[in-house]
Amino acid sequence: MEFSLLGSAAIGVFGFWIMLRWEAKRGNAAGCAVDLWDAGLVAATSGLFIGRIVAMIQDGINPLTNPLQIILIRSGVSTVAVVAGTLTVFAYVARRSLVDAADGIAPAALMGLAGWHAGCLATGSCLGTESSLAWASPLPGSDITRHPVEIYAAIALGVASIALALWKQYGRPPLGSITGAAILSAAGIRLATEPMRISLAGGPVLLYGAGVVIGIGLIVASLVGKSRQ
Amino acid sequence: MRRLITLLASLALVLAACSSSPSGPLPDPPTPTSYEELNTAITTDGEPTVLNVWASWCLPCRSEAPLLAQATRSHPDVRFIALNVRDTERNAQEFMAEFYSTADMVHLSDRSGRIPIDMGATSGVPITFFFSSNGELVNMHLGIIDEPTLARFLDEIDR
Repeated sequence: MEFSLLGSAAIGVFGFWIMLRWEAKRGNAAGCAVDLWDAGLVAATSGLFIGRIVAMIQDGINPLTNPLQIILIRSGVSTVAVVAGTLTVFAYVARRSLVDAADGIAPAALMGLAGWHAGCLATGSCLGTESSLAWASPLPGSDITRHPVEIYAAIALGVASIALALWKQYGRPPLGSITGAAILSAAGIRLATEPMRISLAGGPVLLYGAGVVIGIGLIVASLVGKSRQ
Repeated sequence: MRRLITLLASLALVLAACSSSPSGPLPDPPTPTSYEELNTAITTDGEPTVLNVWASWCLPCRSEAPLLAQATRSHPDVRFIALNVRDTERNAQEFMAEFYSTADMVHLSDRSGRIPIDMGATSGVPITFFFSSNGELVNMHLGIIDEPTLARFLDEIDR
């Protein structure tokens, strides 16, 4: 049985937890009435299962007649459904102070994503397209060296997470801008690293493109809102 | 709350109606083979080959089958062999009709389940072997295979 994906998830959850702790010590989630740890975990877990169910339906597998297959996350999830499901559940859980909660959780969510990508070290799936760079490495038994693309993504997401946390602490950004910057970072980093990934059908580039546009839109809207005040 | 329960119940009914069981005539049963025959085919035909070992009773095999069917379409230069083990003919046919009706695959069977063990794997399923065009075993994946791993191993042999 294959449990390495659980290891990957555990690294993601650890990244999320450590960033929440770091943020909590700096009072960065002040004003938010929601328990961000609970809200984040509930949203991410729900999103993952929604994504799995959608992927099963897309593959022609009936989730009601094959319920045990829902837990076989490794068989594939619909990235679009995961993102939509996670955001919808989070919006519902944090509906009483949504923007505060979104700004509060954004850096930790990015660090969780960074951990999930770094979890490729547990699943053995860090490598992407062929590369001759000094740090490129081959699959076991192969002489073709490849980009460690998931490590690139993990580092970039980690740096973005810390940068957002520091901006929140010292920059006094307008409400909603941290959320916009986090969406922009997550989507932009995935979009930038996508050409270095190998996949059967290509990644959801449109989703990432939409994420970049939404992120920029949120930042602009929050800055405009602040200047009007 | 009542509205939510009604909505969920309606959704469940719609999903239940979307049966994934095969309809129409069943495909031919997989052809029985031996380790020697299979090994000769892989080493002499000069094509990169993916050999997937499956059984209809195996839940992860059922789960990864759509991915393999997709791979047959995205990698037409690779030969895909589906080796059914320790299964009944009827169940294997139903599985093939459900998942591999549009996939370009060679279907073989090994009722004893000895072939994967002779190839250096375990008796468990699913197992996926990746052979280069000269018949060399490049990778072997035990258990359910995910899309990035499958794509990466295919990239190793399909060049």
